Amino acid sequence: MSGRTGSTSPTLTAGPRHGAGHVGGHLTGPAPAAGVGPPARPTPEDARARFFAPDPARVTADLSVRLGSLLLDSPVMPASGCFGPELEGLLPMDRLGAVVTKTVFSAQRGGNAAHRLSETGMGMINSVGIPSPGVPGFLRDVLPRYHATGRPVVVSVGGLRPEEYAEVAEELGDAEYAALEINVSCPNLEHGGTEIGADPEAVARITREVRHRAGGRPVWVKLAPMVASVTEVARAAHRAGAEALVVANSYPGMVVDPGTGRPVLGNTVGGVSGPAVKPLSLRLAWLVAQAVPVPVIGCGGVSTAQDALDYLRVGAAAVQVGTATFARPQAMAEIVRELDDRCAGAGVAKLPELVRPGGDHEDATTPTRHPGRSADDRPSRGNG
Amino acid sequence: MSVPNGWTLAPVGGPRPGSPTWDRAEVVENAPVGDRHYRMRLAAPTITASARPGQFVMVSVPEETSVRAVLPRPMAIHRRHPTDGQVEIVYGVRGVGTQALSQVPVGGALQVVGPLGRGFDLAPETRRLLLVGRGIGVCSLMTCAEDAVAAGVEVTAVVSARTRDALVGASDYRELGISRLIEVTDEEGDSDPHTVGALLRDALDEAPAQQVLTCGSERLTALCARLADRWAATLQVSLEAHMACGLGYCHGCATAATTAASESALICADGPVFAVRREGRVSARG
Ligand SMILES: Cc1cc2nc3c(=O)[nH]c(=O)nc-3n(C[C@H](O)[C@H](O)[C@H](O)COP(=O)(O)OP(=O)(O)OC[C@H]3O[C@@H](n4cnc5c(N)ncnc54)[C@H](O)[C@@H]3O)c2cc1C
Ligand SMILES: Cc1cc2nc3c(=O)[nH]c(=O)nc-3n(C[C@H](O)[C@H](O)[C@H](O)COP(=O)(O)O)c2cc1C
Ligand code: FES
Repeated sequence: MSGRTGSTSPTLTAGPRHGAGHVGGHLTGPAPAAGVGPPARPTPEDARARFFAPDPARVTADLSVRLGSLLLDSPVMPASGCFGPELEGLLPMDRLGAVVTKTVFSAQRGGNAAHRLSETGMGMINSVGIPSPGVPGFLRDVLPRYHATGRPVVVSVGGLRPEEYAEVAEELGDAEYAALEINVSCPNLEHGGTEIGADPEAVARITREVRHRAGGRPVWVKLAPMVASVTEVARAAHRAGAEALVVANSYPGMVVDPGTGRPVLGNTVGGVSGPAVKPLSLRLAWLVAQAVPVPVIGCGGVSTAQDALDYLRVGAAAVQVGTATFARPQAMAEIVRELDDRCAGAGVAKLPELVRPGGDHEDATTPTRHPGRSADDRPSRGNG
Repeated sequence: MSVPNGWTLAPVGGPRPGSPTWDRAEVVENAPVGDRHYRMRLAAPTITASARPGQFVMVSVPEETSVRAVLPRPMAIHRRHPTDGQVEIVYGVRGVGTQALSQVPVGGALQVVGPLGRGFDLAPETRRLLLVGRGIGVCSLMTCAEDAVAAGVEVTAVVSARTRDALVGASDYRELGISRLIEVTDEEGDSDPHTVGALLRDALDEAPAQQVLTCGSERLTALCARLADRWAATLQVSLEAHMACGLGYCHGCATAATTAASESALICADGPVFAVRREGRVSARG
């Protein structure tokens, strides 16, 4: 899918978006030892340049989705912490629904001890611990770079205490952003990030407090996956005014090094993400979509258009992509383009027609039983 | 990887590297070298053209394989062949990802992102250069030898490994025509820092290197620090960390433990090469 080889492949100068900063370098020999920069010459062609090149033959579908008061160009956006302005030039961003920042805290934070990440079966675990520049640093150095992507910016808001969330929203003031996403669920904060996300009362209180400071702009809540009842927390967030719910964050876990017998991560525990968690988060998205009348944004293990469609078909309105971007910086754009292609293949012009069970001719995996029974997510039920 | 006592890490100087790109790089060669390494040659002209000494690439493990290794593998750019538009990496088969890479046939394609990171800063005034690498760490240094030899710099290189079959880079150094190659191994008993130090003092005390660059061993880094002191040379080291993005946005590769207000340097974006300095000493260049 990545090799859009059919397109005529213009040289570097053709793509306005990727030109900036892409130092070409010379083709004739390695740079001399001295600290001289390579001469700026047009970059010869590569798969990235072809991926960015306009392709007049490509048929685009109407992939727009409505999330509460926001109308987004597509249902695909990054997951917090798995994206950054550093991807400019590697990932065409023009058709992302939004960009989401790494979680911002009120105070400047350094993050967790190294070793911070490790691969696990079909996934990974991280205990980055959310290093944060604090709100002033964020407004000065980080937010403008997100705006430069040209996409609606969703600011992820964190807190180690319930009050800290409101402080962040307050400090953000009337800075430009499209929505706030409340991260009540990062499993690897020092003091009970998990507890906040598991407590419906606390989630409701934080949601209300943040809403009061968001200047009328939408507030989303990103749910923690490992809680007694995800629907109860979802309902609490909804009642407190959340306009959309992201389902879900990474799963608390740990990995032991067989050599040393000790936990691999400097922080002992971390969050598990990637394809391994997709069935888990898919179920949670399905449960939440039935429990609350607000849009659900599926998150967990999305790396292909099929993954995205799976979430949309169990009731999500959009998806976030995290881990997949590490191995394929262009993953989100590939998903958008494949959704286009699937629409074209199915002879439909709009996303909802594709999402409808059976809407996609090529797709044999359409569930025969529409997930319609009322949600009950007690652990003792439905997992036999 | 820690720094020897009394020394600290600082960013390298020199120009900021250009922005990285990615490619679906055709595998032109993927063959065993020695008893535990593979040499992989990848057709990636844009990466080849802009790669600077000591930079690395992220090689994604093919998604078709059953392991579904989700994280790309950081690999030093070992050689650049600009006329062919090809880069070489040399890798050891360690776990599932490198195992899967070793199975990729010639003609297959891999997603490669790069060139990444801040590489070695070769000072224009340097006339004599010492490169000290152990094991696969030699790979990070080879592009320095490429540039230094092309610029007429006198290069001395140490390659160290456990066994002769595990030595990496000796043939490349010879092909590049460096001035002096010192091969040491544990099995032959000449790879301990004491012996290597004596060999290097013998070789270079009269006309010392102005820059020492190293990768792959803490003990050799400590030796290099002592030699740099002795010769009033500067020292740079290339470090490793587990990585996810390789670009600086995931914050997974911080250098050292920190819960303090400010985060320590990121190996992928601020490194992987760092200047090693005597604590408290200010020097103009890495
Ligand atoms: C800047 C840089 C340059 C490197 N250059 C080379 C090179 O030229 N040749 C070479 O053989 N190796 C090199 N390495 C180390 C190489 O990345 C690891 O050996 C490799 O990732 C191991 O993958 P695996 O599938 O064999 O192991 P697995 O055990 O399956 O790996 C699991 C996870 O841990 C990570 N990991 C394991 N060991 C290391 C390590 N030592 N460093 C970083 N990540 C690790 C993997 O990337 C993966 O995410 C380099 C590392 C860095 C940071
Ligand atoms: C390295 C890393 C950093 C993350 N940082 C954050 C964060 O700052 N805030 C947050 O809400 N989620 C964070 N997450 C969780 C992701 O946003 C996402 O919910 C999770 O990874 C599941 O999606 P995935 O399987 O597509 O990766 C992080 C995940 C990873 C892997
Ligand atoms: S690997 Fe992501 S910040 Fe360094």
